[in-house]
Amino acid sequence: MSKCKKFKDLIEQYLDGTISDSQFTELEEHTKTCESCREEFEQSVLLQKTIKHAFSSTISSEEARASVITKLPEKENHQIRNAGYRSTWLGGKRAAVAAGILLAVGLLSGFVLGRKNIAESTRVQLAAKVPMQLADLEGTVLVKHKGSDTWQTLTPDSSVHIGDTFHSAAKSFFVLKLENDSTIEVDQNSMLALTFYNGQTQFILEHGKCKAALKSPHGRFFISTPHGRVEALGTEFTVTVE
Amino acid sequence: MADKLKHKPTGDRQLILATLHGDNSAFGTIVERHWNMVIALALSKIDEPAEAEDIAQESFLKAYSHLHNLQNPTRFAGWLSKIVIQQCSNKIRRSVRCKTALGCNSMPLEDLDIKYTKTTNPGLSQSQIYFIRKAVRQLPEKFRRLIIMRFVAGLSAGQIAEQISKRPGTVRVWLHLAYKILRKDLAPLLERSENEQM
Repeated sequence: MSKCKKFKDLIEQYLDGTISDSQFTELEEHTKTCESCREEFEQSVLLQKTIKHAFSSTISSEEARASVITKLPEKENHQIRNAGYRSTWLGGKRAAVAAGILLAVGLLSGFVLGRKNIAESTRVQLAAKVPMQLADLEGTVLVKHKGSDTWQTLTPDSSVHIGDTFHSAAKSFFVLKLENDSTIEVDQNSMLALTFYNGQTQFILEHGKCKAALKSPHGRFFISTPHGRVEALGTEFTVTVE
Repeated sequence: MADKLKHKPTGDRQLILATLHGDNSAFGTIVERHWNMVIALALSKIDEPAEAEDIAQESFLKAYSHLHNLQNPTRFAGWLSKIVIQQCSNKIRRSVRCKTALGCNSMPLEDLDIKYTKTTNPGLSQSQIYFIRKAVRQLPEKFRRLIIMRFVAGLSAGQIAEQISKRPGTVRVWLHLAYKILRKDLAPLLERSENEQM
């Protein structure tokens, strides 16, 4: 029993995450022959695993990263306070030099941008491309990128970005093809916006009509409207917003 | 297997400083690194997974906008965990207020298990997941945070002590009390799973 006391302590250390590799090997060896310790050890492993699993999310950390980044304010004016850690990372002098350089770059780019024509100066950095492409297009469809005020004409070779809003004119339509070959066909006189929410691209039909043809099996698929969210239960459905 | 320590406090510190200098992708790396802990903390207080996910994201946005207030960037995980807990408490307070207001369709607790329709853990059934979450939710607040930081974020008892500015001895004692409660509460599950393995 006194021998097992040592291993019971090692099990606790294992649970605390403070066990060394050699101690862990020793513990594993011991549990091969000692039933009482084996039982306790297996329960401890299981306790750790089940809790980890029970608290995992359907959203992966990569998806969370993408989702949070799109929601960050465009330009956060972070004031670096006089916190103790600053001086250890960047000496005050170096910080001042860096700020000077940033200011110079800012002034220069402002100057350069100011001299370019309006279309270019209003160009904004596009949000991440989404795994989706334009599959068909007829008539006049306008697109507005996130952060921009100008509508541009959609061309067959345009790429699709998160934050885009599409507007189809009369007698026009367009089709978006998703990663799994599912398609969303947007009818004339409609407006569709793409946003990123909870790790997924969200389709918002502001007005008009769209038809989704989903390849099964598909995950949960929604089209949001100003009046609520419509979930796809089958493979084909049409949403109309008056 | 002994948990390998994925957490690098020095890495956090550099990422935070880069974020403060306007590098948002550095903050993306912070999100990626701490997502599991944050979502688990939210799930340990909020029943509804979609709500917990919203709170987790809001917590990161709040951390981002208050990042310049963080005094010690090596203690980011501890600071972030406090934000998550605070966001959850705010949410709970709002929904309690909502429950007393008219027209609120809050769900009674008993119906919640039906909501768990999807899972990423093929090893555990929905009812088992619900059972485990419930057991952890019933732990005292201070134990709950430690259990998540230990088992989900993979921090050692010593690292947790550093993160939450407590003595390592205190953290170890709290953790052991929590293990004891959980072993007792989850006994049916731990024993049953073991029999299944054999």
